[in-house]
Amino acid sequence: MKRLAELKQAGHKAFVAYIMAGDGGIEKLGEQIQYLQERGVTAIEVGIPFSDPVADGPTIEAAGNRALAEGITLEKVLDEMQRFDFEVKVPLVIMTYLNPVIRFGAERFTQEAKKAGASGIIIPDLPFEHRQLIEPFAKQQELVLIQLVTLTTIDSRLEEILKQAEGFVYAVTVTGITGSRDELAEEVGAFTRKVRELSPVPVYAGFGISKESHVDMLRDDVDGFIVGSAIVQAFHEDRIEDLEPLIDAVTAPHSV
Amino acid sequence: MTRVKICGLMEEQHVKAASQADAIGFVFAPSKRRVSIERAQELSRLANNDMQRIGVFVNASYEEIENAVKAVPLTMVQLHGDEPDELIQRIEVPVIQAFSIRTPDDVEKLNNSIADYILVDAPGTDYRGGSGHVFDWSLLENVALDHSRLILAGGLNRDNVQAAISQTAPFMVDVSSGVETDGRKDEVKIQQFILQAKGDSMERTQEKTIDPVGFFGRYGGQFVPETLMKAVKELEAAYEDAKNDAEFQKEYHHYLKEYVGREQPLTFAARMTEAWGGPKIYLKREDLNHTGAHKVNNAIGQALLAQRMGKRKIVAETGAGQHGVATATICALFDLDCVVFMGEEDIKRQQLNVFRMKLLGARVESVTKGSGTLKDAVNEALRYWVTNVEDTHYLIGSALGPHPFPTMVRDFQSVIGKETKRQILEKEGRLPDAIVACVGGGSNAIGMFHPFIEDASVRLIGAEAAGDGVDTERHAATLTKGSEGVLHGAMMKILQDDAGQVQEAHSISAGLDYPGIGPEHAHLADNGRVTYEAITDDEALASVIEMSRLEGIIPALESAHAIAEAKKQAQSMTADELLVICVSGRGDKDMATYAEKLEGLS
Repeated sequence: MKRLAELKQAGHKAFVAYIMAGDGGIEKLGEQIQYLQERGVTAIEVGIPFSDPVADGPTIEAAGNRALAEGITLEKVLDEMQRFDFEVKVPLVIMTYLNPVIRFGAERFTQEAKKAGASGIIIPDLPFEHRQLIEPFAKQQELVLIQLVTLTTIDSRLEEILKQAEGFVYAVTVTGITGSRDELAEEVGAFTRKVRELSPVPVYAGFGISKESHVDMLRDDVDGFIVGSAIVQAFHEDRIEDLEPLIDAVTAPHSV
Repeated sequence: MTRVKICGLMEEQHVKAASQADAIGFVFAPSKRRVSIERAQELSRLANNDMQRIGVFVNASYEEIENAVKAVPLTMVQLHGDEPDELIQRIEVPVIQAFSIRTPDDVEKLNNSIADYILVDAPGTDYRGGSGHVFDWSLLENVALDHSRLILAGGLNRDNVQAAISQTAPFMVDVSSGVETDGRKDEVKIQQFILQAKGDSMERTQEKTIDPVGFFGRYGGQFVPETLMKAVKELEAAYEDAKNDAEFQKEYHHYLKEYVGREQPLTFAARMTEAWGGPKIYLKREDLNHTGAHKVNNAIGQALLAQRMGKRKIVAETGAGQHGVATATICALFDLDCVVFMGEEDIKRQQLNVFRMKLLGARVESVTKGSGTLKDAVNEALRYWVTNVEDTHYLIGSALGPHPFPTMVRDFQSVIGKETKRQILEKEGRLPDAIVACVGGGSNAIGMFHPFIEDASVRLIGAEAAGDGVDTERHAATLTKGSEGVLHGAMMKILQDDAGQVQEAHSISAGLDYPGIGPEHAHLADNGRVTYEAITDDEALASVIEMSRLEGIIPALESAHAIAEAKKQAQSMTADELLVICVSGRGDKDMATYAEKLEGLS
């Protein structure tokens, strides 16, 4: 995760790709990670399917249902990651809802995630208040528990969350669920600027990012972008090369 | 309120019994109660998140202490030896320093301690680290001492703890041998000690458990995406304010009386009493409410609250359609915008209610995902709320969801139990021996049970849906077959597979067809105050016929589960006992199901 801070210092923007583990079969997981790291993404979020993904829109929910139909579980994903026979060159972050973690056991989860080569964890339904359920175990394994902040996060709370932020901060750029959108609201720029001023770690914008126009709009106000639904759908439709211009638009050296 | 620490825990069931305490202690020093770090880790996992985990040491090295703090992990350290101040300073978590008190001179030492808290005990005997002997509490009176850092230990038990607290006003009381029988912890003594220490009031104990993050024991909380946290916190504050506002309460009760038609009778069921040959049966008639079920009690309360918060758009989920109808009704009354999410499967089996909602001006959104039932409708309502949170209130229909919903829904539904209590006292001059209510998410049951929780003589029984049977794949018996998990914003009991995927529930009754149970019910099941039994589809249908023909009351399918369970309870009850059944709703909405399932009825 240190790499992310270095990237920021060098003035480069990060591109974080989200994939749904096991969409299309568990064997796709390694292939997708290899492809993305070769394409120059900065980090990869490995999504774990869940039966009731209330923070997700139709694209990721559908991908999760396909993965569940393949019999994918948190355990299978971590096992598969431990068996990777290629060099993982970018930080991997496990993104999962809380319940599969509780069922698996929080401590066991952090131990296995560490063994699987993960650097961090994102749990969208674990608010800052309840982080004690996971954080002590994550710390033991030196995994960072990445926090989300949103347009509705009030200032005093934002400061509290950012004070403790590690790895990167996930700035949610829509008031809503995940999924591609045509436009982002005007207020997003002011929001990400505010977050960036307060944050000790890089600030990445996510939810709804799917177009170069989104990147252009927020480029100066964030340290990177998280793209989920667009990547998940492109992998599903076997046309991931369509996303290459977007990856390049973010990661290419840019006059700042 | 004085906090309670249960010390020297070694066994799982004793940690669970201490769930209402504020702190648990693990002894790492030589003692018959000594545990290894690994054991403390295992035990610690069973405790509530907000519970303090305190490690007890005697002259241990800094490395040993820090190792335990990190590994368990401990939130506080308690020192019983001759630890130097330098050591105390180095420890990162708060430190409790223990002192043996014999004479007034010993009290002087307390004020010199640099620790965060000072623990006073009687002089030890075999081992250092507490003796179980009582010391003279009066030594602590009339000396200058900061009682907000005082922890009282030594010979406390359930009989003397109240006196000790009133005499010394400590920050916390610490007990170990006082909650043991024959040298081993005793679950009953632990619970009684906590109850005594906290003023023997379940009401206060419960208030304490939902403060500050809305937990009932280990269940509850606010497990929602960050986008919703602001709305959830605002609601928490707004409800707290409204609850204590006499004007709000007056308005709420005005609508209950003038619009819903309360209070509802507690009807003596003479023919059922005779037919069952056991206790006197009384029926709490929620079926007589406007809109036909108890759901409207909560819908009015929340709709008034939404307006108070300046929100004029309402989203709701519905299973059987009763909550959807109640919400659509209230939105018509108050001219609020209303959208209701309902599973496709439920829309099919509850067409009458779908039409009622539309007639009332609500938009009904069909949910085709998952099993197309209540769980999926809640998912969609949550997504809608995340997207429209700034101007929309989510009017949850059961005692579910993130805090404050489970508490708020319970409070609005408690009118059921409060009326029942007053009515049974008027009619019989005493409290009932047993009360039965059906549970899906659990709102009518918690509303009925809550005013009776402190009345230990009243047995409380929840009837959940067994569908085809609890040993089949098709049931909704969450408390019989479920396990701890997080769904729809709260830690509760849910039906799930080994990988933590939530399973589909099955019940003939759309209102009970939900794979979770509200957090307070999960807690009441754990502490044994309420027992939960499962009733199959067939048993419920048989009860529909029985009550219709004996009492001329056609119950809702949900309520029929309570009736079937009541009949079982009645078998082992006597003629001088009283049994109350909550008839949560009437059966009109289920007529299509009845016509199909009971075809050929003669």
